[in-house]
Amino acid sequence: MSEPQKKIEEYLKEVRTHLRGLEKEQVAEIIAELRSHIVERAASAGDLTVDGVCAALEALGTPDDFAREYMKDEVLARVETSRSPWRLLDSLFGWATVSAAGFLVLILTITGYFLGVVLLLVALLKPFHPATAGLWALRGTAADLELSVRMGFGNAPSNGQELLGWWIVPLGLLLGCGLIVLMTRLALWCVRTYRRARPLRLRG
Amino acid sequence: MQCIHVKENDDQSRDDKWVVQLRKGCLELAILGALWERPLYGLEILRLIESDSELIISEGTIYPLLARLKALGFVESEWVESGSGHPRKYYALTAAGRERALEMAAMWERFSSSMGRVLAPLKGVTQ
Repeated sequence: MSEPQKKIEEYLKEVRTHLRGLEKEQVAEIIAELRSHIVERAASAGDLTVDGVCAALEALGTPDDFAREYMKDEVLARVETSRSPWRLLDSLFGWATVSAAGFLVLILTITGYFLGVVLLLVALLKPFHPATAGLWALRGTAADLELSVRMGFGNAPSNGQELLGWWIVPLGLLLGCGLIVLMTRLALWCVRTYRRARPLRLRG
Repeated sequence: MQCIHVKENDDQSRDDKWVVQLRKGCLELAILGALWERPLYGLEILRLIESDSELIISEGTIYPLLARLKALGFVESEWVESGSGHPRKYYALTAAGRERALEMAAMWERFSSSMGRVLAPLKGVTQ
């Protein structure tokens, strides 16, 4: 193998490494197109030379940068087609590994889901712990008031008052489910918006 | 001999952000426009856009963007053996791609002419 070809194959090998996670056929297609581009561009002035290959590779950016564009598209496409909260979270984890925006959306979604699940659990546990499960207003040593959602395990707090009574059951179910649906839609909306407006690399 | 990869972020940070945003907004239309007359392969699209406009695309960006347009159904691709000894992947507009290009071009015309009216007082002042 000649020196220029060796350079091309080294670059392609690195790109392939960064494309891990994509389907084999897709990777093969990307690599074939990339090889064709590099060879064509490098040999445009005549023979395939090391200088020509270096110029072509430099114009493409680092293998990491090149592969990241594909990876972002792939994970965003996966997130966008996720419908269940579990699959959505799984896909958001993938997005969070390649983008700060993905990380923020993941944190927001996890927080929302957590709150939703807590509300659902309180509503479901209320019949088993009627005296202790619910939304409690707890009074501290000072004049401050703290709101606490309690599952009902353990004793009732001595310094507090349960606020909603049995209303926690319909409200918890409604708000819990609502929050999970809302967070799913919000995360999907974020992905769609980001995907349409997401930055492309341009040269000056 | 080592190839040196230059990160483009430094160049971009010096760029006028507004100009960069403007170019980004035009890129999809520019690619669809470049493919209007005949199928082209990636490097040809790059060269055509760069020679006919001030849009200068990072070479590493064009292929993921073409893949995105393909996933959206606006372009289709086909490998063709070339005389130079290696195959080339040609992209062509689909019917949906042609429709999208016409829609975007019409929007561009409307936007451009309305901006022209707004900016009429500046004519002769700017170079």
